[in-house]
Amino acid sequence: MRNVAIIGVGYTPVFVSKRKDVNIVEMMSESVDAAFRNTGLTPDDIDAVTFGNMQTFEGLNLPHLWASEHIRALDKPVLRVSTGGTVGMSVLQAAYYYVASGVYDVVMATSWEKQSEGDSQVGLAGIVLPEAIAMVQHGMDLFGIKGLGFGGGGSTGAASYQAMSYLHHSGASPEHIDKMAALERSNAVLNPYAHLRKKTTVEDIQATQMVAYPLRFGHTCPTTDGATTCIVASEDMVKKLTDGNVAWITGVGYAASDPCTANFLEGQITDPAEQMPAKIAVEKAYKQAGIKDPCKEIDMCELYNGFAHQSLMWLEKLGVCKEGEAHQMLDAGALEIDGEMPTNASGGVFSTNAIGSSAMNRPAECALQIMRKIEGEHQIPKKIRKALSHGWGGLFQYVAVMILADEPAKS
Amino acid sequence: MADKLERVVVEAQVPLDYTYNYRVGPYIERYIKGLGDKKILATKCPQCSKVAVPPRKECGVCNKIMDEWVEVGPEGVVDNYTVGHVKIEKGLVENLESPALLAMITLDGATVPLLAEVKGMAPTDLKKGLRVKAVFTDPAEDSLADLSHFEQVG
Repeated sequence: MRNVAIIGVGYTPVFVSKRKDVNIVEMMSESVDAAFRNTGLTPDDIDAVTFGNMQTFEGLNLPHLWASEHIRALDKPVLRVSTGGTVGMSVLQAAYYYVASGVYDVVMATSWEKQSEGDSQVGLAGIVLPEAIAMVQHGMDLFGIKGLGFGGGGSTGAASYQAMSYLHHSGASPEHIDKMAALERSNAVLNPYAHLRKKTTVEDIQATQMVAYPLRFGHTCPTTDGATTCIVASEDMVKKLTDGNVAWITGVGYAASDPCTANFLEGQITDPAEQMPAKIAVEKAYKQAGIKDPCKEIDMCELYNGFAHQSLMWLEKLGVCKEGEAHQMLDAGALEIDGEMPTNASGGVFSTNAIGSSAMNRPAECALQIMRKIEGEHQIPKKIRKALSHGWGGLFQYVAVMILADEPAKS
Repeated sequence: MADKLERVVVEAQVPLDYTYNYRVGPYIERYIKGLGDKKILATKCPQCSKVAVPPRKECGVCNKIMDEWVEVGPEGVVDNYTVGHVKIEKGLVENLESPALLAMITLDGATVPLLAEVKGMAPTDLKKGLRVKAVFTDPAEDSLADLSHFEQVG
């Protein structure tokens, strides 16, 4: 396999709740053009394009059929990927596979979501509905009449079981979830591409409404409009096209458990916080990247956290610390931007969730941190050699991982 | 003045209204019929002996067909729970009149929890490990609603 690097990233100018000034394809093209601007490349330099968003959220089922022109992909191979919440990472991994395999040299990966033009909970129901009906969960009122829509407050209701299990096993308290939420919202203030940019205290979080115990409104991600594009290239093309300041993709992993059952919809995995796919995916990625002790070797994390408890849970599941240690790291200040293990310096999915691009923003942020090209004030002060990015979704059981580094993997 | 006279079309509305119809399949059909007889039916894996409720055809872990039917419950233990405080209607979040108790319940004889509503108790009394029993709808309607909810035992 060939070495592959992210050579540039492009974001839409803003990530906000409603982009009423542009339509969907116009918004997509903004991030594509930003990636070209940031790399100095043109569409002629691109061999192939990978593309994706969250299926069903805007009610648009085959966007690749009409988006090609707007993502500067005319007359090129366009591969559309659809894996739910992980899709942004999947689109980038598809681009990585194209280049690593030697099929293409320079590939553009673009992902987007314009959540304001659909309904996220209806979108989720569109995914869950056939399975949920087949699985027949009692007390689930799929249309939310009794407040049980997807288990008590939409996706938050579903995540509440996971949060309960995490608290039970880790020894963390609900106040640690409040504290993690306040930290990430405060990081987002520094990030011009974050959505919720308001300095937030633990008390602010605790004053928000309880949605489904133990999760409050202040523990949940927003719905966002935005798009992200990454351009990846082979080692030869890195030499030709760049000054060498790139971020190398040194390890990838992907795993799903008990397909389509959400770990709590009927599945045989009974603990929604078990997240075995995370362990499987990250072990593969660490092995490929030659990482033996992630606690010491990983310099920063960008984790997919639709809900604030997940940042802490993922640190443990992804082997960045031991089980039960994440909330202690939080208390010790280790997860802050200038801490030992900066976690979601961007503010995370928790502060910005254009869902189709959310799992691409994680490796994109790692790449920009490594390249020291962060716009805004959330650049991590220490040098980043190895970064862990992570995507999560599906029905609680789909996990993608990507390791980025300042040097290519040694062959 | 000019901007007041300008006609701006910001959105094009696309009202789609369609009810999809999904087959539940023979396993769930038998399960629903069982509820009408106040029985909760599950299937068992011939290899790992896991018992799934609602019943399913495949044990993905063992790659086996789960073809043995067993009756589980009607009592079980609360494994995990949440307390819902809001409802979502047509995309809008609204407060519930009273909190909804939702639990993952491992029924006696089952190895997989069932997600269900618990009624008749205060939210603060709902705990992991609590024993609960199924309450059936009478007369039966041959629908999923035939298993109405769960209540604390005793």
